[in-house]
Amino acid sequence: MQLCIFDLRRGQQEGQELDKILFFFPADLPFATQLSVIGLSEGLITFTRIFSPDAACEVIEAERHSHVFYEAESDIWMVMVVDKSKESKAACQVDALRKVLKEVHSLFVLFHGTMRSMLEKETSGGLIRSHLYPFITDYLSDFLTGRKLQLPSFHDCLMERGTVQMLTVGREAAIEVQSLVKVLECSAGTTSCYSLVLFQDLLVSTTLSPDDTISLFTYAVLRLTPHALSSGATSWSYLQRNNIYRSRDASLDQENNCQVKRPLHHNRWFRGNDGFLASDIWGTDNGSQTSVTPIVYLQLTEERMYLCAYQHKSLTIILLVPVSSILNGEQGLSLVKQQVLENASLKMLMVEEKLSKGWGGENAYHVSGYRYLLVDDERVSRASPPAKVMTLAKESLLALSKLREEVNLEKKRAKCSNSEVNCDKELEICVRAKNGAWVIARTSRGKELYMVLEKASETLLYAADSVEKFSNRFAFDALHILYIEAIISSPRYFVLYH
Amino acid sequence: MSSSDSSSSSASDDPNPKLKPQPLESQFQSSLTLEDSDGVARTDDASVAEQQQEQQDEGSGNGSVDGVVNVEDNGHRDSSDREEGIGSGEARDGDGGSGGGGGVVWRRANSEVELEVEAPASPSSSGYAGGRGSSGASSASRADDASEEDEIEVVGNDDGGAVGAPDSQAEWTPGKRHVDEDDASISWRKRKKHFFILSNSGKPIYSRYGDEHKLAGFSATLQAIISFVENGGDRVKYVKAGMHQVVFLVKGPIYLVCISCTEEPFESLVAQLELVYGQMILILTKSLNRCFEKNPKFDMTPLLGGTDVVFSALIHSFSWNPAAFLHAYACLPLPYATRQAAGAILQDVADSGVLFALLMCKHRVGTSLKVISLVGAQKASLHPDDMLLLGNFIMSSESFRQVTSESFSPICLPRYNPMAFLHAYVHYFDADTYLILLTTRSDAFYHLKDCRIRIETVLLKSNVLSEVQRSTLDGGMRVEDLSVDLQQHTGSTSRVEDKPHTETPERIRESSLVGLGGPAGLWHFLYRSVYLDQYVSSEFSSPINTHRQQKRLYRAYQKLYVSMHSKGIGPHKTQFRRDENYVLLCWVTPDFELYAAFDPLADKALAIKTCNKVCQWVKDVENEIFLLGASPFSW
Repeated sequence: MQLCIFDLRRGQQEGQELDKILFFFPADLPFATQLSVIGLSEGLITFTRIFSPDAACEVIEAERHSHVFYEAESDIWMVMVVDKSKESKAACQVDALRKVLKEVHSLFVLFHGTMRSMLEKETSGGLIRSHLYPFITDYLSDFLTGRKLQLPSFHDCLMERGTVQMLTVGREAAIEVQSLVKVLECSAGTTSCYSLVLFQDLLVSTTLSPDDTISLFTYAVLRLTPHALSSGATSWSYLQRNNIYRSRDASLDQENNCQVKRPLHHNRWFRGNDGFLASDIWGTDNGSQTSVTPIVYLQLTEERMYLCAYQHKSLTIILLVPVSSILNGEQGLSLVKQQVLENASLKMLMVEEKLSKGWGGENAYHVSGYRYLLVDDERVSRASPPAKVMTLAKESLLALSKLREEVNLEKKRAKCSNSEVNCDKELEICVRAKNGAWVIARTSRGKELYMVLEKASETLLYAADSVEKFSNRFAFDALHILYIEAIISSPRYFVLYH
Repeated sequence: MSSSDSSSSSASDDPNPKLKPQPLESQFQSSLTLEDSDGVARTDDASVAEQQQEQQDEGSGNGSVDGVVNVEDNGHRDSSDREEGIGSGEARDGDGGSGGGGGVVWRRANSEVELEVEAPASPSSSGYAGGRGSSGASSASRADDASEEDEIEVVGNDDGGAVGAPDSQAEWTPGKRHVDEDDASISWRKRKKHFFILSNSGKPIYSRYGDEHKLAGFSATLQAIISFVENGGDRVKYVKAGMHQVVFLVKGPIYLVCISCTEEPFESLVAQLELVYGQMILILTKSLNRCFEKNPKFDMTPLLGGTDVVFSALIHSFSWNPAAFLHAYACLPLPYATRQAAGAILQDVADSGVLFALLMCKHRVGTSLKVISLVGAQKASLHPDDMLLLGNFIMSSESFRQVTSESFSPICLPRYNPMAFLHAYVHYFDADTYLILLTTRSDAFYHLKDCRIRIETVLLKSNVLSEVQRSTLDGGMRVEDLSVDLQQHTGSTSRVEDKPHTETPERIRESSLVGLGGPAGLWHFLYRSVYLDQYVSSEFSSPINTHRQQKRLYRAYQKLYVSMHSKGIGPHKTQFRRDENYVLLCWVTPDFELYAAFDPLADKALAIKTCNKVCQWVKDVENEIFLLGASPFSW
């Protein structure tokens, strides 16, 4: 795998081509090779703009490699070159790979702001290069299995990166959560703070905009939730991972002066005595020996916020406090934290207890006989537990992966052809694959349902009936509750969720 | 319409058109042809004398004056470049002395284009437009069709037709259009589907739109992309950008590229490029690779001179001919006995040294060419793709289309033997029905002519030609009939043989205007017999009655086909797909494939039941809609 980031506005003159490169993985590749990857990418971006000026190159598919393109910011491109192994040859999930690029970019922006702004701050490019290298390397280490990077493949076609997974809660618990959220926001003494409540690796409530919610949720699941803290590595993929980058970490630290922060560095978050999570990633405060609280950038408002995370058993609460509202840095923040503990700790205990009682465990959302993925509005998803998905035959997964590609194309087409009008695609596809499994996709009013039924009977009617049952009872109810939840807890953005 | 029409009608009206004197216009047409060929012909080969001698002998032998013998040499091919000597096919002066209708014209392909241009109302252009599904269309509706042709934006009249043809004509002409454009033109960039052929040194060979010479820079870019990836030890397959796809196909020294925003899947586009390449092989044989071995900068454009029409007609057919993606051919529905009679005489001929004998016709609604009968000698088998390419070559080339004329042309069947030329004898019995005799012998013209005369006599005697005319008028299977007489259907497509149902076509046509479809909302179906390599398609019924709707349905089928046959995991068994346009049902078994389109509100259970009925219906009438026992692969 190769991953590069380059800026088309740089290195326009002959001999200065290297200036374009902002990041290249693996870094030890000869410059000539790096430039040839970027040269091809740039050439095709220019070429495709002849015909498609609004949407330039998205993918180059060759016999042995796929090049996946993502224009992260205008003229700043991320390109991932994937070797097609024998296995993934049949179905390389280009869309899933693009979501990887999108995810790492949104995480980068969350902690460092946009790449463009960083380039404007320091035009030589040294600053952004020194930040990108450790950031992306840390991010990629989550994909390591053994010594190999395990990128999304057809095995992962029943999950959706870049979405949040939500906990379904009863009405009573929802009201409890809602009152906790109010208390939290009052504690900060300012109206413009936001909160995110997670139980295990699932989202319970958010007051952030959808995009910021996704970025922060992703980060929380990668590094902050109890699961992430205990495993030291990611928890949201079922694949076993070992980190071989550890050995290189030391040298990395030496190379980069201490100014470069590595928010995705493994095992650097821990729970403090007061229940708040702390990390030495951002160094320690000179005066008080407490660790510095990280600052994140919100996409919608471009505000800078302090990120305070509190954890009680399975409950993780993230509170974002505007930097502008805290006058004296860490001291001011510790006052806010105290305030939160005083006002909300009882409520947090209660909420945790309530949610734990209602929690059905890891297989809570398993529906026997079905292997499914539900995506709502491309932001919220729910899927069969990974362990259950693993029981499916490879053929079924390949067929579904292919079907998802088709549906993505239809979705894209619907978006392109009527961008203004209601672009929701109504589509229902039931395929009986060679191995007899039914592979099903349904999209309706922004909701997508993907399903594999391996033990269904032969007839289409039976399969269709099973889907009907599923979407009428389980899916609808579950998502319905989830909506109520989102509405209750995020009045500001309820329109976006509804 | 001009001469071809009048002569075709006379041919069909008269039970024995052979004895009829040649209409005056036809004679004029043929002398025009002669003049035309004079411009490019040479007389410097000894074989000419022989040929002429032979021809004179022959001519005096049977006293036939029934038309011009067009022996066509497609392009300025150098005889040294050929796999088989076809010296006799080299462009020659017909020594116009024979005059009138008896002359043998050894004509070059490029004169064909000129002819077409000089005669704007040429039968080829109008016949072709009529052949694409707008039966009896007025010129206004043709203009409508033309504007639809794969373009995002209607580009006004700012561009000339083929090689400076008068632009007053609004019809779709199979020739090259928009020659004024190049890659800098906005209109060119917005065309929905480009096709390019170039050499591995980046020299343009063919472009669907725009002048190849002006596209040299663009060609070089395409070549650079391909070779850049190749230098990295890889081979580029496609590039996607927004709704656009750039698909690459490398065939030795020939590069083919398609740039499309038609939403057709990659697999379809690559298959289309394969067909375009096949069409080129059909004209030149694969031995052209050797020219590139000798000289990498070899310029191929003169070899293909004048064949633009062939490529543009083929590319055009990708939007309406199911044969292009089903890899199967269609037969004209005929009573079993009639087809047997036609097959018997073709078989008779095949036993006398003809490699393949094909009796074909253009269907009334013109969705595709249809086979009446076909026979191969001994173990020879004909691939459906070869039939598609051969049919396209013959139907799109003006020179073949002169009714009652004869043509003899070297062609290559890429799936049969890509290295060698065969020789095709082509004769139109009337405007729609024609005979192709293929042989390996370049000197077999007069033998084939004899064969044709024998065949024609038998066909006339056994009324095959009039049955063909009747069938083209009546059309094929109609979804409406499925509901009408599911019980009373006794194994016949009421269209074909039965006298009692003679009013049915009219009734149905009326009702289809009102907007009935079949039962359970069935709008259309395609049925492909896997073993026979044949397919049958129902007639378009309401509401699929405009060209645009037909094209959309065609594309939906094409997508469904690719989805069902996806590489590595396919074929799937069944598929049900509902979107805002249709309910599509597909069923693939080892014996057949069924593709059916229903109203989007159709009930699932009823649709399935209806599909079963359709399959039963097809099986009941397979004697009439398929060519049985003579499958090109079953010997």
